[in-house]
Amino acid sequence: MADSTGKFWKSILLRHETILLIVLVLEWLYFNSVGPRFGSLGNTFDIVRHSVEIGLLALVMTPVILTGGIDLSVGSLLGLCAILFGKFWRDAGMPLPVAGVCTLGIGALAGGLNAALITRLRLPPLIVTLGTYSLFRGLAEAITSGVDTFTNFPASFLFLGQDRWLGIPAQAPIFIIVAVAVWLLVHGTTFGRSFRAIGFAPEGARYAGIPVNRRIALAYVLAGAVAALAAIIYTARLGQAKADAGTGYELFAITAVVLGGTSIFGGIGSVHGTLLGVAAIAVLNNGLVHARQPREVAGMLTGGLLLLALSSSAVPRLFSRLRSRKPAKATQTVSPTPAS
Amino acid sequence: MPPLLQLANVTKSFGAVRALKGVSFDLQGGEIHALLGENGAGKSTLIKVVTGAHQPDGGTITVAGQLVPHLSPASAHKLGIACIYQQPALFPDLTVAENIGLRLEPATATRTVNWPGRRDRAAKLLKRIGADIDPDTEVRNLSMPEQQLVEIACALGAEARIVIMDEPTASLTQKEQHLLFAVVRGLRDNGVGVIYISHRLEEIFALADRVTVLRDGESVGTSKTDDMTETSLIRLMVGREVSQIYPPAAGAPGEVALSLKNVSCGASGIKNVTLEVRAGEVVGLAGLVGAGRTELARVLFGLTPADAGEIALQGRAVVIASPAEAIAKGMAYVPEDRRRHGIILEMPIAANVTMAIQRRIFPGAWLRPKAERQLTLEYIRDLAVKTYGPEAPGGSLSGGNQQKVSLARWLATKPKVLILDEPTQGVDVGAKSEIHKLIRRLAREGMAVLMISSDLPEILGMSDRIAVMRGGTITAMLPGKSDAHEVMSAALGQAEKGVAAC
Repeated sequence: MADSTGKFWKSILLRHETILLIVLVLEWLYFNSVGPRFGSLGNTFDIVRHSVEIGLLALVMTPVILTGGIDLSVGSLLGLCAILFGKFWRDAGMPLPVAGVCTLGIGALAGGLNAALITRLRLPPLIVTLGTYSLFRGLAEAITSGVDTFTNFPASFLFLGQDRWLGIPAQAPIFIIVAVAVWLLVHGTTFGRSFRAIGFAPEGARYAGIPVNRRIALAYVLAGAVAALAAIIYTARLGQAKADAGTGYELFAITAVVLGGTSIFGGIGSVHGTLLGVAAIAVLNNGLVHARQPREVAGMLTGGLLLLALSSSAVPRLFSRLRSRKPAKATQTVSPTPAS
Repeated sequence: MPPLLQLANVTKSFGAVRALKGVSFDLQGGEIHALLGENGAGKSTLIKVVTGAHQPDGGTITVAGQLVPHLSPASAHKLGIACIYQQPALFPDLTVAENIGLRLEPATATRTVNWPGRRDRAAKLLKRIGADIDPDTEVRNLSMPEQQLVEIACALGAEARIVIMDEPTASLTQKEQHLLFAVVRGLRDNGVGVIYISHRLEEIFALADRVTVLRDGESVGTSKTDDMTETSLIRLMVGREVSQIYPPAAGAPGEVALSLKNVSCGASGIKNVTLEVRAGEVVGLAGLVGAGRTELARVLFGLTPADAGEIALQGRAVVIASPAEAIAKGMAYVPEDRRRHGIILEMPIAANVTMAIQRRIFPGAWLRPKAERQLTLEYIRDLAVKTYGPEAPGGSLSGGNQQKVSLARWLATKPKVLILDEPTQGVDVGAKSEIHKLIRRLAREGMAVLMISSDLPEILGMSDRIAVMRGGTITAMLPGKSDAHEVMSAALGQAEKGVAAC
């Protein structure tokens, strides 16, 4: 009994999420001690505002990676959706809510394009989304001729990105709703289980009657739609929509997901891990400013953090493998003798 | 003169499975010695022992009169043992000369390549076996028999004295076979000992000097080919008593549950299959590896849908385009490769058991861990799965218990038609008889069972009727009380002669 509770605590402590949480707390404590304004409520809200868009992308990247796929196009899609949203509102004269709904539709459609290429033509997700990564950004640039920007949004819209609602940043409730929804999808439904099954063994999932193509499509369509949502929030936060919106966000999102303990090969991972990954990166980036470090070191430290977190959870596994190898050998030398 | 190769009492076990139970075998120089046996008789294991890929648990190996205590792939190569597999293992993007060079050339001190020498040697070797192949051709441009000739050239270049050929003609045309035979005879005439493995009896009679029959991991006889007939060989291959006790057959079968009329699938080589399985009946599907049995199961389950013919379930014509549709229509398929297709090793037993009934047990797609655990515990108890609980990952189980979980997944769908593909392959004896009893029970409860098996006693012991496949179609329907000889004859394509001899 004592042994099993010991094992229980050990397994909790060695969990990737736990290690990440400790890293996050250490980060917080360190920056709080060097930057006097770091721990203030205002700064905390700043961190939230700046990380909602990447956070949204990371949330929906999680199911995609769980299926063993990847979506490199979400950052470009964010850019395309941002300028289309502006276009719908300014040039097509749509009311903002209608423009928003249309933008979400475009995002879902773009995700559908990825899904169709991956499931129908059986192309690898990496190649497909590398293609749409260029395609979406290129479309955004072509539509705006590379210079057109959309500004002068009404204050009622900018509220969404810049103001507070019930005392917290106005975009935070949206993020929380999406986070809860994705968490439930991944951890509470058969969809989430299907994603994992596909990530572990796509053929095995097919033999079990799981509609593999439809499940994969769901993950990419969801990623597209939420990228569009992120585009709207991004536009509201900056007050303008440009073709270069969200450049490089796909890599931040993937980093956060992997940092959160999701296996890039699929199957293993959690939404709460992703949230911790997003938080760890966001706190690091913001904290460096308060620690009066140049912004340039942020990338270096993010990379270091990723490698550190991944290897710290790999080390115990390595040890346990080494330990289990020795007795296995011993039994091998004993057993064959009575075989004949 | 001592024999070129002599094996005495060689044994080899894999876990609980005894693949070789004491095989003795000898090969003389200048001899073609055929090795014959059913699927799973131990031929592949024996070859792997001779090539050093497997270490035997017991027995001795003697090469040219010299005892070899420890045979590794490298030392086998040094002793002049070469193996030519059914699928040539060449690099398709390299030329013939490069492939031969990679096998034969020791590394020079500077790691440089003598290109003219490499090409010369390749040309000479190919000429010696009478192959008209340009050494500068890329291997991908060669036909399968040409690739085999390149393999033989490698063996020749390595001064191999013992050449093993594993079903070399499986993919050859008649004309190519004759070319290959000429080369093999040429090897023999040069004093090389050839171990020749084939399922085709006519080849063995055309080529081999002696033949050894393996059965259940034992050598049951070696004799001159001239002293044997096809019938006597088949009898040797299968001539055993059904050693296991199988559960008794069910009563009279019910309505036709599954009926196929001229079902074909071009992509998987299934041609004009007509078959009926009744409720409460176990139909055994026999045949050699590659006869199309698994392919037929895949067609029925919608993994590679049929492109012609009619499939009817309970008398109603159906189209099955995906596994999901097959499941919805009351079909279940327990696949052969359980580690890749049968269960998902990384996922818990519970998730594996409920994977095909997600829609039924999880209404609205919400997981219900309690209900799932309950159901899984029932199956763990019912099928006597040895595990510490429903949360144990599938990969933590032994082969037999993995198979039980795979079965549980499909029993949970409450199917009307159950297709089993090698249900007891790699399963220990205890679990095997439990699975047999289970199959019988299911049939008695009204399930229609189509059971693919390469285990002849299992086919004979379990089936109410036996369908024999060969070349993608059903070539014989035999009653369940058939003897092994008849089934084996039909599977080998010797139906007329075989039956006549009985």
